[in-house]
Amino acid sequence: MTRLNGKTAVITGGATGIGLASAKRFIAEGAFVFIYGRRQAALDAAVAELGPNARAVKGSVSNEVDLDRLYAAVKAERGSLDIVFANAGAGSPLPLGQITAEHIDEAFDTNVKGTIFTVQKALPLMGPGGSIILTGSSAGTTGAPGFTAYSASKAAVRNLARSWAEDLKGTGIRVNVLSPGATATELAKQALGEAGQKAYGAMTPLQRMADPAEIAAVAAFLASPDSSFMTASEVAVDGGLAQL
Amino acid sequence: MKKLAGKIAVITGGSSGIGLATAKRFVAEGAHVVMTGRREKELNEAAALIRDNVTTVVGDVARLDDLDRLYTVVKEKHGHIDILFANAGAGTIAPLAAATEAHFDQTFDVNVKGLFFTVQKALPLFRDGGSIILTSSVSNVMGLPGFSAYAASKAAVRNFARAWTLELKDRKIRVNSMSPRTDRDPRFGDDDGPHS
Ligand SMILES: NC(=O)c1ccc[n+]([C@@H]2O[C@H](COP(=O)([O-])OP(=O)(O)OC[C@H]3O[C@@H](n4cnc5c(N)ncnc54)[C@H](OP(=O)(O)O)[C@@H]3O)[C@@H](O)[C@H]2O)c1
Repeated sequence: MTRLNGKTAVITGGATGIGLASAKRFIAEGAFVFIYGRRQAALDAAVAELGPNARAVKGSVSNEVDLDRLYAAVKAERGSLDIVFANAGAGSPLPLGQITAEHIDEAFDTNVKGTIFTVQKALPLMGPGGSIILTGSSAGTTGAPGFTAYSASKAAVRNLARSWAEDLKGTGIRVNVLSPGATATELAKQALGEAGQKAYGAMTPLQRMADPAEIAAVAAFLASPDSSFMTASEVAVDGGLAQL
Repeated sequence: MKKLAGKIAVITGGSSGIGLATAKRFVAEGAHVVMTGRREKELNEAAALIRDNVTTVVGDVARLDDLDRLYTVVKEKHGHIDILFANAGAGTIAPLAAATEAHFDQTFDVNVKGLFFTVQKALPLFRDGGSIILTSSVSNVMGLPGFSAYAASKAAVRNFARAWTLELKDRKIRVNSMSPRTDRDPRFGDDDGPHS
């Protein structure tokens, strides 16, 4: 499969979970991938696994200077950029009544502000045929106990693609939202716990959590020309969790 | 890319447009396609474009006898189904004040009743773990003057996917509804206002 032959991609949060699975898939389909995240050890381990067509840049999506370094590295080595997968995300549950300003900032700085600057700073390197993918969540359209900040931030991410499809008119760059349901990653383990993960699996019509590779398959589709008539869309990859 | 190698796919409304393009792609990805449509000539021309690994059965999804014939052919030829693309759709434009009973019935007979029985009658042949794809339309969540019957029928299709997902989950058959907006559908000409 060579749908992404010669393409250059940036994947934020690419050292683990859905981001890492997507980096593997993009490379298998022919792409050169820059992964981005805050933990050097995780980045190093990922690059060792991904092989010669991967590079890592350490930084936070909520730090503009870090993002500038990321895109400078992309420009220096590849000259231009075809695919941005703004996938870095964070958030922990906290019930209404206990919410603090720091808790709100944790979710919104990464998921909303981080996504906005990840994309805005990528644009000078992108051109016709480019594809931007934002990671939403089934939590963006459903409510769950303690999910105030995380759910609201993911609803915001879903909406970013609507305005951006307008702002990007005429550029040939598409932007879509990929919304996973419960997926077996570190984030799910932290946010839901063992019992919570079991419960989410049972609530899902397909009766289990997703493997990150199943989310990556749809990310590759959205990155490739196979989705050439899609922009501003939300694609749910949630086993039916938020669709009924 | 041979993602569908060896799969048996049934496509309704395969003579033109989205159905034909999908049949081409499925065959290119390794599937064998059985496709149906009402117009024999168009259906044969479509099959000639695809050449290999395609079987045609002329029929109308709104007629239950025709559906039985379709699935008899599939059973005899392949014995089972892995993929069903329930894509046949129809609809004319008529403002509420002027719409006739025939306009309403034609739209719902094909898009709702026809699709319902297309899926029901496929089930005995379906392999567990298969995939059912329904063609809805972007109009399923939009208000478009003159399209009320069509858009409502497509909203019904979108909702079928919800109940059927639950009804078929134990057989691990996935059901999804796809909502295209295409400007290349010969039913709507080139540029005559809202497309759906
Ligand atoms: N797992 C699920 O059930 C699920 C469901 C729906 C949506 N999602 C979304 O999927 C995306 C990926 O999550 P995942 O499930 O794959 O979990 P994960 O393995 O924990 O991935 C999250 C990644 O984001 C990175 N990250 C977090 N904050 C960052 C920041 N400020 N700057 C740069 N990178 C940052 C993390 O790396 P560092 O910590 O090293 O920076 C990590 O690699 C997230 O947007 C998440 O909200 C997940």
